[in-house]
Amino acid sequence: MKQEHWIVVEDWPARPAPHRSSGNTLQDILHAWLLAAGIVAICGTVLFGTAAIVTMVLAVAAAVSSDLVFSLVTRRPVIGGLSHAALTGLLLGLTLPATVYWYVPIIGSAVAIVFGKGLFGGLGHYIWQPALVGRVLVQFLFPQQLSLFIALTQSPILAPGHLLVGDIRQARAIDMGTYQGWSGSRTPPLSEAWLMERPVQTLRRFAEGEIKADGDLVYEPLLRDSLPPWRDTVFGLVPGGIGETCTLAVIVAGLYLIYRGYLRWQVPVAMLGSAALAAAILPVEMARGAGGYDWLPVLTVEQGRALGLAYVLYHLTAGQLMLGAFLLAGDMIASPMRVRGQAIFAAAVGVLTIFMRLYGILEGECYWAILIMNSFVAMIDRRTKRAVLGMAM
Amino acid sequence: MSFWSNVLGPRRTFEGGCFLPDQKAATARRPIEMVAADGPLHIPLQAARGLATIAEIAVGEHVLGGQRLARPAEPDSLPVHAPTSGTITALTRVWAPLDGYLPGAVLEPDGKNQHLGPTPTWESESFVFQLARHGVMCGAPRRPAHRVIQDAVAAGVTELIVNAVETEPYLSADLRTLVEEPGRLIDTICDVADALGAHRAMIALPFRHRRVVKRIEAEATGRHIEVAPLSERYPQCQPTVLVKTLLDREVPVGESVLDVGVLVLPLATIRAAAGALLEGRPVIETVVTVAGDAVDHAGNYRVPIGTPMRRLAERAGLLKPVALAVVGGPLTGVAIGREEAVVTTDTTALLLFSAAEQPKPVPCIHCGWCIEDCPVGLDPSSLIHVEAERTCDEMTLAQLRVCVDCGLCSHVCPAQLPLSASIKRARLRLLRQAEEAVTAGS
Repeated sequence: MKQEHWIVVEDWPARPAPHRSSGNTLQDILHAWLLAAGIVAICGTVLFGTAAIVTMVLAVAAAVSSDLVFSLVTRRPVIGGLSHAALTGLLLGLTLPATVYWYVPIIGSAVAIVFGKGLFGGLGHYIWQPALVGRVLVQFLFPQQLSLFIALTQSPILAPGHLLVGDIRQARAIDMGTYQGWSGSRTPPLSEAWLMERPVQTLRRFAEGEIKADGDLVYEPLLRDSLPPWRDTVFGLVPGGIGETCTLAVIVAGLYLIYRGYLRWQVPVAMLGSAALAAAILPVEMARGAGGYDWLPVLTVEQGRALGLAYVLYHLTAGQLMLGAFLLAGDMIASPMRVRGQAIFAAAVGVLTIFMRLYGILEGECYWAILIMNSFVAMIDRRTKRAVLGMAM
Repeated sequence: MSFWSNVLGPRRTFEGGCFLPDQKAATARRPIEMVAADGPLHIPLQAARGLATIAEIAVGEHVLGGQRLARPAEPDSLPVHAPTSGTITALTRVWAPLDGYLPGAVLEPDGKNQHLGPTPTWESESFVFQLARHGVMCGAPRRPAHRVIQDAVAAGVTELIVNAVETEPYLSADLRTLVEEPGRLIDTICDVADALGAHRAMIALPFRHRRVVKRIEAEATGRHIEVAPLSERYPQCQPTVLVKTLLDREVPVGESVLDVGVLVLPLATIRAAAGALLEGRPVIETVVTVAGDAVDHAGNYRVPIGTPMRRLAERAGLLKPVALAVVGGPLTGVAIGREEAVVTTDTTALLLFSAAEQPKPVPCIHCGWCIEDCPVGLDPSSLIHVEAERTCDEMTLAQLRVCVDCGLCSHVCPAQLPLSASIKRARLRLLRQAEEAVTAGS
C-alpha cells in the first residue's frame, strides 16, 4: 500500500490516552433499560389487555413530548436524547394500573419529566427517580382514579380465555373463598375480567389484624381464603399495576440488565433479601384472642405446615417489590455510586417497604421507600468512599 | 502451580481494575519475526531527550553493525550503536514518538549485515558499566538502565520485581519473550538482583498463560526467584499496583516505588540487558508488537532501531487505511503525531487502527464505574472539575498525584468524559504552579 500519507488523520494535535473505549455508551445503557422495561410491558399487555397498551403509550408519548417542550422552552439540549424520557414514561406506565383514566399517565409523565428531571438540570443531576416522583404525585391527585371502580379495595385481572384482547372494564367481583386460582376457576358469564383484592392490600389488612381468625388458625384464613394461589402471583395473574404483578417477567428483565452489566446484582439481592428478612421478623397484629403482636411470623407452623415461609414469599411476589428491586431502585443517577453503597441503599429500601406495608398508610410503599432512600444517597456516598492508595485516611 | 491454585486462580490481586478484552490471540501464538534492515534507517543519536551524545561518524562513512555511532557526552547518558552495516548518508534530525525531534543519522544498509565481534568483557568491568557501555535503556522510568540501578542501590532497595504482566490489550511482546528465551531472562534477573543486593527477586507473570508460568517455574527452580502468577486484571502492570499486590506496600503520595524499597523493572529492559550482559551485544534492536484492526499480519517483530514506523507497518501489511497509530498500549500509549516517526529503544508496540474514536461527552450519570475500577481508589468523576479551576486544596492535589495514569476511567466511562486526560492535565499544571510558588518564595 504505497501512498503519499500512510496515516489518514483529520487533526494532527496529540490525542490523549486512552485510545480505545469500552464501547458502553449512555445510549447503550438506556436502550438496554428500555428493552428490559419492554419485556415487562409486553407481559403486562398480555395480562391486562389493550387498556394497558393505551396507558403505557400515553405515558411514553407524554414523557417524550414534555421533554421536547421543556428543552424548547428552556433552550437546553435534550441531554441523553429522548431515550431517557421514553424510559421514564415507560417505567411510570408500568407502575400504573391499566384501568386509569387517560389523563392520569399524561399528568404523571409531565410531572416526572418537568419536576422530577428537568428542574434539576436535566439528565445526570436529579435526586429522586423521576418516574416515581410522577407516580406518587398521581397517587395523591387521583387516589380514586387509580382503581377506577367504586369499591376501592378491588381491582380487575383478565379472566382465562380473554388474555390480551379482553376488555378489562367488563369485570365482575368474585368470591375469594371459593376461588381456585386463575386457571382453576370458571369464567363467570358476561364478564371478561374478575375483580379481586390486590394481594398487597390483603397482606396490609392481615397486618392490621382485620382478617378473622379461624379458631386457633391465623395464617390459614389468609393464605387459603383471602389470597390467590402463590403460582398466580409468580406469573402475574393477580390485579395490580401493569408491570408490578408479573414476577417472572421482571426477574427475566433484571437478569438481562445484570448480564449486560448495567445493573449490579447486589441491588436486587440486597433489596429482596432484606425485605424477606423484614417480613420474617417484623410483628403482625394478631386477630386471635386478645390481640397483641406476633413477632417472627416466619416461624409459624399451623396444622403441621410451615405457613410462615409462604407468608414471606407472598410478601416478595405480591407486587411492587420485584419491579422496584429489578427496574426502579437500580437507576444509576438516583442510586449511590459504589457497589457497597448500592447494597446498603437497596437493603434499606427493602426494610422500609415491608415496614410501610405492615404499619404505614401510604399506597405504593415500595415507591415511597425508594424515594425516601434516594434522599440519603449523598450521605451514603460520603460514608462509602474508597481508601486512596498511599493516603492514610 | 498446584492443582488448587490452578482451579482457584491467582491468590493475590488488588481492589479495583477490570478485565479488558485482551486482543492477543492474533499475536501471542506467533513466534517473533525478524525484520531485516532493507531500507534507510533513521537512527536517533540520543536514546531519549536530554541524554546528550557526541556523534562519532561523518557523512559518507562506512560503519559495521554494532559499531558505536555516538558516545555519551556525560556519564548519565547512553551511547548509540549501528544496527547493521552500511553507509551514513546524512546527519539530520529524526522524529521519535515519545521525544519529538532528536539529532539523528541516516544509515543506508549495504545488505551484507556485517557485525563487529562481541565487545570483550573483562571481569573487572562493573555491572552498571556493562549496561551503560551497551546502551541499555529502561522503559518504565524512562532513564538509562544503569542510572536506574544506581538510584535503586542508593535508595537501599531490598526487593526486585520484574514486570512481565502485560495487562493491556494487544500487547504480547513480553509474553513471546518469556516463551522464547526464558533461560536468558532468568539468568539476567539473577544478575540484576545480585548487583542490587536485593534479598528477594520476583517475576510477575500473567496467570492466564499457565504453560508459560510452568515453564518459568521450571527455569527458576533452584534460583532465588519467586514466580508470582497474577491475574490479567488491568492495570496490574502498573508498578504501584504491583507493589501493593505482591508486597502489600503502599507508595506514599508523590513518591516512587523506590521509596518503599522496591525496584520494578519491565521485562523489555531485562531482555535488553540480557544481550549486553551475557553476549556483550549492544542494544541495536527491539521487539515490537504490531497489531490493531488495520494490520494484516499482526505479530511480534524484532526490529532494528531507527526503522521508520511506516516501513514496519507495511512489513506487517495494512488491510485498511490507518486513521490512528499508537505507540504503546491502547490505554496508555501515545498517538503518533507525525508520519516520519521511527522505532526507538523503548518502543514496545505499534497499534494501527482504522478508526479513531471521537468521544462525544455528556454529563456524568453517576454510574460509579470509574470509582469501582480505579486501581488506587480515586473518584475520577469528582476530579474532572479541577482542571477548570485555578487552584485546588492540598487534599485534591494529593489525590491528583496518586493517579497512575492507567486511563481506565476514561475507557469505561459511558458518558465518554475525558477523565484521565483531564486529571493528567490538572496534575501537570498544578504541580508546575506549586514549583513556581516554591521558587518564587525562596
